[in-house]
Amino acid sequence: MQILAQLIASGIAVGMIYGVIAFGYQLTFATSKTLNFGQGEALMLGSLVGLTVVSFTGYWIMLPIVLAFGLVQGAVVERLGVRQAIRTKSEAGWIMATIALGIIFKNLAENIWGRDALKFPSPLPEAPLSFMGVNVLPMEVVIVFGALAMMLLVEVFNRRSIYGKAVVATANDRDAAGLMGINTSLVITFSYSLSSMTAAFAGVLVAPVTLTGAAMGGALGLKAFAVAIIGGLSSGMGVVVGGLILGITETLTGYYISTGYKDVPGLVLLLLVLSFKPSGLFGSATIKKV
Amino acid sequence: MKRLATLAAIAAAVLFPFLVTSPYYLHLVVVIAIFSIVTMGLDIVFGYTGEVSLGHAALFGVGAYTAGVLAFQFGLGFWIAIPCAIVVALAFGALLALPALRVTGPYLAMVTLAFGTIVAILINEMTFLTNGPLGISLSKPLFADVREQLPFLEMSRPRLRDVEYYYVVMASFALVVLVINRLLASRFGRAFEALRDSPIASDCMGVSVYRHKVLAFVLSAGFAGFAGVLFAYSEQYIAPNNFSFELSIQFLLAVTMGGRKSRVGPVLGAAIVVYLPNLLADIGQFRAVAGSIAAVAVLSGGWRMIKLPEERLRTLVPVLLCLGFFVFSLLLEKITDYKLTVFGLMILFMVYYLPEGIWGFVRTGLAGFVSAPAPIAARGDDANVWSATAPRVAEGRALLEVKHITMQFGGLKALDNIDLTVMPGTIHGLIGPNGSGKSTMMNVLTGIYTPTAGAVAFEGQDIQGQTPSAIAGAGIARTFQNVQLFGELSLLQNIMVGLNHFYRGGVADVALATPRARREEAAARLRAASLLRFVGLEALAHEEARNLPYGKQRLLEIARALALDPKLLLLDEPAAGLTAPDIKELIAIIHKIRDHGITLILIEHHMDVVMTLSDTVTVLDFGQKIAEGKPAEVQADAKVIAAYLGGSHAEAA
Repeated sequence: MQILAQLIASGIAVGMIYGVIAFGYQLTFATSKTLNFGQGEALMLGSLVGLTVVSFTGYWIMLPIVLAFGLVQGAVVERLGVRQAIRTKSEAGWIMATIALGIIFKNLAENIWGRDALKFPSPLPEAPLSFMGVNVLPMEVVIVFGALAMMLLVEVFNRRSIYGKAVVATANDRDAAGLMGINTSLVITFSYSLSSMTAAFAGVLVAPVTLTGAAMGGALGLKAFAVAIIGGLSSGMGVVVGGLILGITETLTGYYISTGYKDVPGLVLLLLVLSFKPSGLFGSATIKKV
Repeated sequence: MKRLATLAAIAAAVLFPFLVTSPYYLHLVVVIAIFSIVTMGLDIVFGYTGEVSLGHAALFGVGAYTAGVLAFQFGLGFWIAIPCAIVVALAFGALLALPALRVTGPYLAMVTLAFGTIVAILINEMTFLTNGPLGISLSKPLFADVREQLPFLEMSRPRLRDVEYYYVVMASFALVVLVINRLLASRFGRAFEALRDSPIASDCMGVSVYRHKVLAFVLSAGFAGFAGVLFAYSEQYIAPNNFSFELSIQFLLAVTMGGRKSRVGPVLGAAIVVYLPNLLADIGQFRAVAGSIAAVAVLSGGWRMIKLPEERLRTLVPVLLCLGFFVFSLLLEKITDYKLTVFGLMILFMVYYLPEGIWGFVRTGLAGFVSAPAPIAARGDDANVWSATAPRVAEGRALLEVKHITMQFGGLKALDNIDLTVMPGTIHGLIGPNGSGKSTMMNVLTGIYTPTAGAVAFEGQDIQGQTPSAIAGAGIARTFQNVQLFGELSLLQNIMVGLNHFYRGGVADVALATPRARREEAAARLRAASLLRFVGLEALAHEEARNLPYGKQRLLEIARALALDPKLLLLDEPAAGLTAPDIKELIAIIHKIRDHGITLILIEHHMDVVMTLSDTVTVLDFGQKIAEGKPAEVQADAKVIAAYLGGSHAEAA
């Protein structure tokens, strides 16, 4: 029982990371019906840039710098990989282009920071806190609340500010928003910026607990996609729940079966959800128009 | 011309091991041929059905590991491995395609990525079967020691083994080219392209999108598995990291770069992808290549800038990129570390500037110099337009009976408790203002929507809830309000997709080119040409459908629907966008269709068309039936006038 509670506690922290990356997928999907297949690499870059910056500034001042880096990186991805494909309505085009950018980022990171996993200094004490016999790292608590805060901030921004309303309007109907004078291509660029920013943030949140390195992105990006699908690409609640489901199943599999297999249940879940309820557990199905 | 090129290629392949004695180049060509088998198979999925697969490295790995495991665990050799690997890969391909029932595009791409990752994990973890990260060693078979029989072959045993293996791979390659050519020229190839261009129209032509998408994945997987065996025995050692995500990217890069929808393209791409790492191993050579690319870019870009001054800026970007790439190559010391960056840049460049790939680019360029061979003329005749199928309903009974149909979208009732009875051999007009539910009715009748309540009986059988392709098979064909043609297929091929139901031969028939397959193809061609002639488009038989003017697209849709041999034909605004003379022609065509015993439902806003053609007219308004009867009665109905011209029901009454 003790062990189970412990596993669930760690699973929650991992799950929130998946949730926040998945939230990034939702942002771009809402405005442009496209996704960044290099989302995991955005996270990895954020984390590695953070690692370099942190030695000069300390953890908390590093955060805004990494967030700004994420904004720029997202805009670059959109400009280079997505814009052209949206214009020519080429689906394979943006899929291939964002994958290409992802592998370029990964390869550059390998050449800059090396191929090995690196230790990220933790800003908080690394001695676990104990709640009723369940050990929790202080950083894990920061992950849970940091991830929630980031999602809330973006949501509040979207709902309250006039710029956010432009994002929502574009998400609802791109053509109509364009006719109302909203610069929709700028909004799409902006949504990519926000998306990469949340990923970069997730990167520096998770890095002190796990390790960081050029190879960290791929699996995280894919599992976050699984979360986005399980939760539904349109549901904010969905990514949190989806993240938790995946995070917990994963730590359980890692402990009870083998760490080698810990990525499998999430991916199998992804395949099952797509086979039986592609709009996700929390999403609503769209009606095709003929 | 094409035949000559093929013969030259075969001759070169046969002579190659004797002209080039270096084992290095022999091996290189073998690997290129093996990769080509995968990329040509991938092209079925990526080029024809238009889906991005990131799981082909895994399928390739499944094939290789089937061979590896058979040799390592059971001591079974090459000839047993081939059929086993193909069967296993086919099964994995089917598994991979299962989610394709519901999803396409980015979802499916992610599914294939997840699948690839799972397979990689399994290969790595199932040590008891696959020997895990240590990998499996195999030895290349020596098929026959022919040095005694052929004394002029002066070669060592290992070299003979390499040469023999080279021929086995080349023969496999040739076989695969032949089979893929046949498959893609057949109804299956047409179906793959049709479901990419318009999945809904494919379903409504009785070509099940799901079944054909699975078929495309399965076929593609089979080729990848076959190539996997060849790869395992060519390399003589396989390990899990041979079949990573990176390899899937290389396969996709090869198809994109070489050019989709051809055999030459994927082979060209495979050659580049295989040769590239060798190129990258030598920094001097790499700089030379980057330099010549930059030189070509500057020259052609400069020429273009002079010719098209208004596009100066757009031209400048790729030129600068190529120059930047050259500078990048000069700055680097060890290029091998940047292999993936180079791959990534190449993909980006292709997506931006050569979406048709190298072969696509060359082909369009060549088209200016060499006139394309005229396709075999398709000649139709009047005798083959109709294929009689009398409706199976008793005298005096309805062909179609719609009972209390309700279709609800959220809070909106697009159809509210509608009854509709269509007698065989009649033309039934369905009219109403915009948004009255006419097209929704069409979609319910053809199975695109499942009605919220009520029943649809066709020839006495309930059909609501069946798939569109099953309903099409039962004998209901339709055209679309927003024309849904298969844009990249020719007119003739569009109609031949509609004739899919007429074929009996399967994949094996096509692959082996049996007499039955040839006979059926010829008959379908004749029938399709006859139908084209019927709607007056015979002269354009080999034009791509997307190049047709709007009015003719509508006529083509009618011809395609007739190819289904329907008992009931639904025409959704066939006269929309037609000129007056075209409308006259359309009326004549509709009369002829009715005279051949086909029942019609006609949605139309041109009142003169509806009123001259229809035997009965039903009027819908806000999802409800407000009138039904002979055209003259309906025209005089006060409610109908109110619905069209405004005014309250009270006034009307």
